[in-house]
Amino acid sequence: MPTLTINGRSMSVDAANDTPLLWAIREQLQMTGTKFGCGAGLCGACTVHVNGEAVRSCQTMVGDVAGKKITTIEGLSAKGDHPLQKAWVAEQVPQCGYCQSGQIMQAASLLAKNANPTKEEVVAHMDGNLCRCMTYSRIQKAIMRAATEMRTASAAGNERRPT
Amino acid sequence: MNQHVKNVTPETSDLSRRSFLVGTAATGLVLGYAGVPGIGEALAAAPANFEPSVWYAISPDGLVTVTCGKADMGQHIASTMAQIVCEELGAKWSDMRVNLASNDPKFNDPVLGAQITGGSWSTMMNFDAMSRAGAAGRMALTDGAAAAMGVPAGELAVRDSMIVHAKSKKQMSFADVVKSGKATKTFTPDELKAIKLKTPDQYTMIGVSVPQIDIPSKTNGTAKYGIDVMIPGMAYGAVVTPPVRYGATVKSVDDSDAKKVPGFIKAVTLDDKTQTTTGWVVAVANTYANAKKAAAALKVSYDGGPNAKVSSESLLEEAKRLQKLDDSGQFFVKDGDPAAALGTAAKVLEAEYTTSINIHAPMEPMNATAEFKGDILHIYSGNQFGTRSGAIAAGAAGIDPKFVVMHQMWLGGGFGRRLDADMMVPAVQAAKAIGKPVKVIYTRENDMTMDFSRPLTYQKVKAGLDGDGKLVALSHDVVSAWPTQRWGIPDFLSPSVDKKGPLDAFTVNGSDFFYTVPNHHVRAIKNEMAHNATPSGQLRSVAPGWTFWAVESMIDEVAIAAGKDPAQYRISLLDGAGKNDGGAQRLRNTLLAAMGLAGYGTKKLPKGEGMGVACVSSQERATASWTACVAHVAVAPSGEVTVKKLTVATDVGTQVHPDNIRAQVEGAALWGLSLAMYEKATLKDGGIEQTNFDGYTPLRMSQMPEVAVAVIANGEKATGVGEPAVTVVAPAIGNAIFNASGARVRGLPITAEAVKGAMKA
Repeated sequence: MPTLTINGRSMSVDAANDTPLLWAIREQLQMTGTKFGCGAGLCGACTVHVNGEAVRSCQTMVGDVAGKKITTIEGLSAKGDHPLQKAWVAEQVPQCGYCQSGQIMQAASLLAKNANPTKEEVVAHMDGNLCRCMTYSRIQKAIMRAATEMRTASAAGNERRPT
Repeated sequence: MNQHVKNVTPETSDLSRRSFLVGTAATGLVLGYAGVPGIGEALAAAPANFEPSVWYAISPDGLVTVTCGKADMGQHIASTMAQIVCEELGAKWSDMRVNLASNDPKFNDPVLGAQITGGSWSTMMNFDAMSRAGAAGRMALTDGAAAAMGVPAGELAVRDSMIVHAKSKKQMSFADVVKSGKATKTFTPDELKAIKLKTPDQYTMIGVSVPQIDIPSKTNGTAKYGIDVMIPGMAYGAVVTPPVRYGATVKSVDDSDAKKVPGFIKAVTLDDKTQTTTGWVVAVANTYANAKKAAAALKVSYDGGPNAKVSSESLLEEAKRLQKLDDSGQFFVKDGDPAAALGTAAKVLEAEYTTSINIHAPMEPMNATAEFKGDILHIYSGNQFGTRSGAIAAGAAGIDPKFVVMHQMWLGGGFGRRLDADMMVPAVQAAKAIGKPVKVIYTRENDMTMDFSRPLTYQKVKAGLDGDGKLVALSHDVVSAWPTQRWGIPDFLSPSVDKKGPLDAFTVNGSDFFYTVPNHHVRAIKNEMAHNATPSGQLRSVAPGWTFWAVESMIDEVAIAAGKDPAQYRISLLDGAGKNDGGAQRLRNTLLAAMGLAGYGTKKLPKGEGMGVACVSSQERATASWTACVAHVAVAPSGEVTVKKLTVATDVGTQVHPDNIRAQVEGAALWGLSLAMYEKATLKDGGIEQTNFDGYTPLRMSQMPEVAVAVIANGEKATGVGEPAVTVVAPAIGNAIFNASGARVRGLPITAEAVKGAMKA
């Protein structure tokens, strides 16, 4: 039985190595925040992080991620209060909400590397994530809001550090 | 005995003839109409048996839970219902909760008498009933508080879940009154009707963009959709669907390879007496991954059936043949004599407009979980039409519909797709076959190829102008599959004007516009071949998505032929004469608002750029939100179109939640753009050719133009906002392309080739 490190916990899953990570997370571990959308890497609904990189869990096999650090929407923050999650609420982004776990995980991988993205960088990074309710403009706004918050927080942190 | 089953006999659905009860039950205060099955039991029930099952309930901790009988697919209707109740009840917004209703008839729509969500109807049809329910609750709580405090009820004020007596400085919370057990009151129908509701100037909740109750759960993965349902001991089903959309039969199933897949349980060939599906097999296994492997390993042979050779081309050919016949179809509009008027007109224009097959493709693929528990079949699935879908599930199980309990879930997109119940058939029959609960999940490929799609449509329009350029005649034929007739529910069909039997108005709505045209005919013609080969569904906005494409394109062509500005020409047609009085003026004003916001006609645009307008009375003539769009496009010599900006104005009467309206209107407008430019499905050998988001390509973030929205709230009754803006965008873009390049396009989606071809012509 492969062992997966998910959201900081080590868990063994009763799944063959060629099982898509998506289904191991959803069925074996019963964490259903990660969604199935297309099964072909075309929509981004199933996005999770593997070693900090956004990947499509429907295209990632369980056998390939053993020993790697996997993060799902449930593990993005302790209390659902990652700056992106707060911004998603502040901008009232979700309509049906089904794609939004994937959108948030995709956006989080951008902000982890680039806390000051341009609109073009946001679009380029997010274009693989479909939203059938077409909440794209609010997604953009929320990413910018979260980026601002993260920069402000880290600036405040920098100021405190010398003392 | 299951309480649900005991209560299924629907009594009169006319709430105006029922008393409204407020009473203290074991778990708090419950409020609902008398005669609504269940409320008597709820009020009388012993604590252990009580289910909070009426419209709303207040628990002893003061939380107000509104049960929403409407499917919530992202329009936040559950939150909106809570907001309407909250306004009249006087509760604090943070005390409000929502619950999704089962298919119990007591949650039926007060106007429609059934559980169905669509048509942008929910707010307009529930506003009054929910307001009165809220007000009745406030009055009962106030009377209870007055008795407890020993003060006159008339001296009490209610705000933020508190009932305050200013003179004595006494106060009680809703929770206190509920715990006191003193809030018990019955309203006769007349008393309920006589309740004086707040006037708009008294609103403190309606018109306020409160935080949507469901949103936090949709940012942390906790919102539960149908696909997330987990039942102990359940198995998973993957469906194998035939290469033909409809009409195939299974000749044989060879499961010898499937048996080698670990966890494989059984292959079940569906015996669907409801005829919702044809030729489907479901592979059942212990996990979904294994079910999919088993499905791939099944060797199924088919008889393709009568539609196995049908293609998009043959559907269009058949539509053209039918339109040419004099006795085709039925009349939806029959004003004056267009044939005669066209005969004497100074100028006659004639054009054909087409739209392609379109697929709903909500992000959550179709799914359902079925569990037989004793006599009861439990279905877990997000669905828009509980009343009919429960009957389909029952049909698939071979039981009476009263034994089906539908557990509503959040919908990962609906757009009309989840009005259907096909996903329940394999779940029910697989669960029955293996004696365990089964969750069936469509692959995206199943979902795309087995959609109840927006049908391919063909429209022929003839317009006649008099010597002054005035539009004197319009003859409009609409040929399509009939999505709503497929339901087999006579109440959803409309009588034809020429008394040739009922027609499916959901194929022609919108063509009965608010322009004054003295001679105007609309024929609804059913394309039987399309109806059989591509069973169609209701896709966000339904008929106005194609009728306004034809009407609003032709009005532009007429204006150009008359040498007039297309926007000014529309304004002159919206004179409000006769039956158009009221609506025409509102539509005119909305068009003017959109023109103003877009700066229409205020400056010269660069070469290759243009603006086009369209205005619509969508969804239906009787339930319109007046909506107008100005599209600003750039057209390259190659025919490539860039939509630079969409400006949409909509008159919604009263806005319950301004921010949500903007979200809905923007989403709808982008849907309109997506359908106009990016989405096309085709039929070949009876099957849909596009199988995933590589072949069928809804709008992505990089394709999004600037969108400006103006919401007009003029104090008229609240109307719907989920759909109208879908319908106005395609014609506005088509008209803008003409304005920019002189190329007139008449087919959706608009392609660079079509634009370039039209430029040369």
